[in-house]
Amino acid sequence: MTPIVNLKNLTKIYYKGDSEILTLDHVSLQIEPGEFIALMGPSGSGKTTLLNLLGGLDTPTDGEVDVCGQDLSVLSSRELARWRADHVGFVFQSFNLLPVLTARQNVELPLTLQPLSSQERRHHAEVALRIVGLEDRMDHRPSELSGGQEQRVAIARALACDPQLLLADEPTGDLDAKSAQDVMELLKRLNESLGKTIIIVTHDSHAAEFARRELHLEKGVMHMERKR
Amino acid sequence: MSLIWLNLCRSPIRTALTVFGTAIALALFCLLEALLGAFNAGAEMASASRLVVQHKESLTFLLPQAYASRIGQVEGIKGVAQVTWFGGLYETPLPEGGKREEFFANFAVDMEQYLKLIPEVIISPVQYESLLKDRTGCLIGDKLAERLGKGVGDRISLRPLLWPKKDGHPWDFTVRAIYTSNSEVFDRTLMVFHHKYLEEGRVFGKGETGSYLVGLKSASQFAEVSDAIDRLFSNSPNATRTMSEKAFNMQFISMMGNLKLLFRFIGTVVIFTMLLISANTMMMSGRERTREMAILKAIGFSDRHVFTLLVGESIAISLLGFLVGAFGMYTLINLAHWNPKPDFLSIFQVPDAAMISALGIAILTGLVSGFLPGLAAMRLQAAEALRSI
Repeated sequence: MTPIVNLKNLTKIYYKGDSEILTLDHVSLQIEPGEFIALMGPSGSGKTTLLNLLGGLDTPTDGEVDVCGQDLSVLSSRELARWRADHVGFVFQSFNLLPVLTARQNVELPLTLQPLSSQERRHHAEVALRIVGLEDRMDHRPSELSGGQEQRVAIARALACDPQLLLADEPTGDLDAKSAQDVMELLKRLNESLGKTIIIVTHDSHAAEFARRELHLEKGVMHMERKR
Repeated sequence: MSLIWLNLCRSPIRTALTVFGTAIALALFCLLEALLGAFNAGAEMASASRLVVQHKESLTFLLPQAYASRIGQVEGIKGVAQVTWFGGLYETPLPEGGKREEFFANFAVDMEQYLKLIPEVIISPVQYESLLKDRTGCLIGDKLAERLGKGVGDRISLRPLLWPKKDGHPWDFTVRAIYTSNSEVFDRTLMVFHHKYLEEGRVFGKGETGSYLVGLKSASQFAEVSDAIDRLFSNSPNATRTMSEKAFNMQFISMMGNLKLLFRFIGTVVIFTMLLISANTMMMSGRERTREMAILKAIGFSDRHVFTLLVGESIAISLLGFLVGAFGMYTLINLAHWNPKPDFLSIFQVPDAAMISALGIAILTGLVSGFLPGLAAMRLQAAEALRSI
């Protein structure tokens, strides 16, 4: 099977003034379609940087990033934006919903980039919200939702365009234990029933237990791998 | 579009204040344009086929009435009429005591010849005949008639400011005709009466006239005829200066100084202020939403999309300002016929060109003030923005 993620000697260096910060050091990795990966490691180990590189939000200093069959290093900024819209869904720690939009409008937002009629967009958004169990909160604004519900709306937004890959950066970081459990169960269900490839960055070992494979980064180097 | 609108509603007070600021500026712009238009109205209503002959030194010096027949013999002339600025003040007693005073342009003219030279003036044949027969009759514009509440047969009394009457009383006239015009720029607040009446009643200036209105057979003969008339009297004590009717009317505008420049300067300052207000609001709005811009980019919006979003918001604010300010002023002046000084501003309208300019200014202001925040959002590195906020 062709891997959905194929990294070869991926290196990322940030420059601050005259100093260089080596964030990722020759990371090589392959992820098969349908996998559920937990990316762990201490703060500053390069987890979020790796996630951003996988999602085409950042470019590597060296090495190859092949995601969903596309070498991301050859794409322009505009092509990367288009590629993200079609292939990747992002979930963030602090939900990052647009406060002026309702749950349904937030989910519809990435769909505006697709060649769909407004009725089709509305339908897709409603399906995504049903999948995350929020069909009764569609017309609520983020300020009217709990943290767990907001994160589920964010997951619905990530799912709306039916991407192959879901990237979640600390998706339970801002949630209480119960909501965190619900969100992780939802992600697991999406992985198992819809076959989505999911990569989460987390500090939480309990959240990591939902994944089928754990990757550990330390000082930009992939150290340990554990399969369940 | 809906996202632009929703973002504008995010801080309704801030948006409303910015729209209000823009609206005030554009309303002021339209008002200034209407004032400029009113000052230029005299020049606008001038005809290219009419000349005015005045004293070479100044309009305050009079010309002999005997010049009329000599001017009339110059090749290329269709007709000549005496026109003397009367400058009387309309007075009427008020029921509660005191007097109502109104000022409007009033002239003594050779009525028959004058009306032949001004085809813009439209009078019914019956009123025309009646006007010619009555030595104390006068002709007034329909807008003036409406303002004074006068109709045909009513009396008008003018207190002389330049031409005292022999008996020391005000000059009395009877409205014999009310004109309208087929030209939108022709002043419909004028009053003209028979020069003979002035001649008979005035204390001084007998045998003299303020100026001559000259009609040309062809507008192309302007230069030759002007030269020919001025040559006729070049060696006399009352040498003449002949100019186009437009140039003559422009003299009065130039007497007020360079109003156009002053108004344009005020307009520019107002627009620049508006630009600063709008740009400041958009900068604040853009800075507050750096994270949102990063999120939009993460979910697939391109640099162009976020730029368009911010510039679009800015243009939307400016266009709302245009609707409230410029269109509001247009409605007030052009549709509701508000005029702050009807006796001074006889033609007071926001010109269509000013509305187009105001729309252009609104769009340009939106573009310029949205450009910097839009550019910042476009250049925003989503990964860095998400990490740093």
